[in-house]
Amino acid sequence: MANVLASGLSRGAVEGISRQQGEPEWMLQKRLQAWETFESLPAPLGRRGDLGTLRTLANFKFQQIAPYAASEGLTPTIEQALQSALASERAGLIVQRNSSVVHAELSEELKSQGVILTSLENALREHPELVQEYFMTKCVPVETDKYTAMNAAFWSGGIFLYIPKGVEIEQPILGQVWIDTPGSAIFGHTLIVADEMSSVRYVEEYNSDLAGDAPALFNGVVEVYTRSGAHVEFSSMQDFGLNVWNVTHRNVVEENDGSATWVMADLGSKVMLSEIGSGLSGNGSAAELVGVFFTDHDQRYAINSLANHIGLSTNAETLVKGALSGESRVEFSGMIRIQPKAQYTASFLSDHTLLLSEKCRAESIPGLEIGANEVSASHGATTGKIDEEQLFYLMVRGIPQDEAERIIVQGFFEPVLQRIPLENLRVRLRRSIVRRMRGAYETEADTWVDAQERWEIEGVDEGAVHLDERPAEDEIQLTEY
Amino acid sequence: MTSELVIKNLHASIEGKPILRGVDLTVRQGEVHALMGPNGSGKSTLANVIMGNPKYEVTEGEIWFKGENILEYSPDRRARMRLFLAFQYPMSIPGVSVANFLRRSLEAVREGNRPLQEGENPSGRMTKRKSIPPAEFRKLLQEKMRLLKVDNSFINRSINDGFSGGEKKRAEILQMALLEPEIALMDETDSGLDIDALKIVSESVNALRGPDLGILLITHYQRILDYIKPDFVHVMYDGRIVLSGGPELAPELEKKGYEWLRENDEVVANG
Repeated sequence: MANVLASGLSRGAVEGISRQQGEPEWMLQKRLQAWETFESLPAPLGRRGDLGTLRTLANFKFQQIAPYAASEGLTPTIEQALQSALASERAGLIVQRNSSVVHAELSEELKSQGVILTSLENALREHPELVQEYFMTKCVPVETDKYTAMNAAFWSGGIFLYIPKGVEIEQPILGQVWIDTPGSAIFGHTLIVADEMSSVRYVEEYNSDLAGDAPALFNGVVEVYTRSGAHVEFSSMQDFGLNVWNVTHRNVVEENDGSATWVMADLGSKVMLSEIGSGLSGNGSAAELVGVFFTDHDQRYAINSLANHIGLSTNAETLVKGALSGESRVEFSGMIRIQPKAQYTASFLSDHTLLLSEKCRAESIPGLEIGANEVSASHGATTGKIDEEQLFYLMVRGIPQDEAERIIVQGFFEPVLQRIPLENLRVRLRRSIVRRMRGAYETEADTWVDAQERWEIEGVDEGAVHLDERPAEDEIQLTEY
Repeated sequence: MTSELVIKNLHASIEGKPILRGVDLTVRQGEVHALMGPNGSGKSTLANVIMGNPKYEVTEGEIWFKGENILEYSPDRRARMRLFLAFQYPMSIPGVSVANFLRRSLEAVREGNRPLQEGENPSGRMTKRKSIPPAEFRKLLQEKMRLLKVDNSFINRSINDGFSGGEKKRAEILQMALLEPEIALMDETDSGLDIDALKIVSESVNALRGPDLGILLITHYQRILDYIKPDFVHVMYDGRIVLSGGPELAPELEKKGYEWLRENDEVVANG
């Protein structure tokens, strides 16, 4: 079979991908069934009067892209990116390039404890019982919508992570997804199963390196299971180029006392639909979602979060902050759903949006559906521009307007950045945000970031203030940025 | 040369409503001027207009500083000429640490302004960027904090975020100490302070007093003048300075209240 399938989504392509991956019959049948579902479901179109992101997405020329592009090895761009991504601290690494997983490594220690990190394609052969139980069954069912059915039919490569009972992994595991074949569609699929009383920190990064303007499609599904008492911290950093159309569905299913933390950072993609759910099925389960986005140019995002409280005494907290510039548009819909049996639930959602240009538009729709009576739930949303009085205050201290604006934007994001548990991720995200703010002082924006980091790293507590008598070399190092 | 802030026949309005109706005032380095007057007389407006707050529109008059007419200058350019405003209500900016902000601010003020080119918009650029090494900055900051008896913990917090009234005012004075202005406008620095906080703030201001600093101390009450002795006292009423004199004017005003100014103002107006 060719390395790149012919353009267009078809039943033949579904069979081709399955054959290419040497799959068991049940997976082929599941794909074909998903193909039928995909064909029969209409694309979600959103509400009348919304900002039109879903309608734009539905008009994507799905028939003009190739649903499969095999790749081998790492490119220099990827290798360079891997040098700054959690390089010194990661316990495992898996890289999907286009339709293929091209690299996977895991520390010997974790291997000996029974941790599995491999491509989903591989897991299908080596651990069929796990995949069959968890793949698009309870977490993100095939028929969730047209796009999940599309993913079920065409997924390839994929990332599979299993953490056995009682194993707690402190160091993060990094997954990277790269698109570098123009005109292709990449169907990523990540499946994480954290067995009882285990814990893991997983970071997934999405990037593209595409020449030319030909659009590419990324359709991703992330399924996370936290068995009893397990904890999963899933951080995603999406920085696709502006020719990538992106549909991603993520959900977690939690058993009793399970907990999950989602960190979602979205900066790239031309059009993005991001569905992110927390299924709090188990009693006493908890979920946290920390979201950050920054859009520019003509980017369009639709972000839908759902805290679905099913079990007794569950907790969820959703905090999303974003800034828009250029002519970008963002629709955020944050839903808190409390099922009738989910008594003693607490759920909070807040969403703050900063508008940096005249032409950007944001829409925020927080929703509450409460079916139980012993609950505590609230939501709040704000949308605003840079505060003129804050700006004047900084300018009166000698700081030029464009830089003052950047400082305020950074201050806006800082509290949510502080909630990102991994420092490496936090620092890189802060950098990306500042780089996104254009202005005359590109280099000086970096200075500000570095300064923020330095204070953070060195601390400015009583002890640190007295560290003036540093060795001279150290001082020189500090001043070079 | 001694820097001078010269205000000539200044008229300003907000949303079309006139507030300043012809202010004349000169403040030199080394002098302390108290500007008193009832609420709504235009004291805070004057401070904001001097710094170039875009909310206010100057309809007539001139503001000269160090021999330049600064009326068209942006607030940051004015600040980099070493003009300072201690705010009556300092803004809180969550997420931006005091230490970082002060370092940036000090870098900017130290750099000063690039001379304007012919026909250039006077919002103005800074000369070039030059950063202050963190260790040097820290040392300087520590020195000023010791001088003003400010607690170390406070510089790692967000600007004015969750500060008490007294802490905010002290943070303003700390900024003033660090930026070493030639003329400082202090807008109701005494408001909202209890007597202990007032003493601390006054001591701080007195510690900064000297031949290089000129102060325009805006206040509603005579109280702070018991601690900071002015060289000159001016009284503002209805958008104009209606009375100027030496330090003896303050207690007199305290005794008579502002009400008698109305009569006085009418006399001035009729005269």
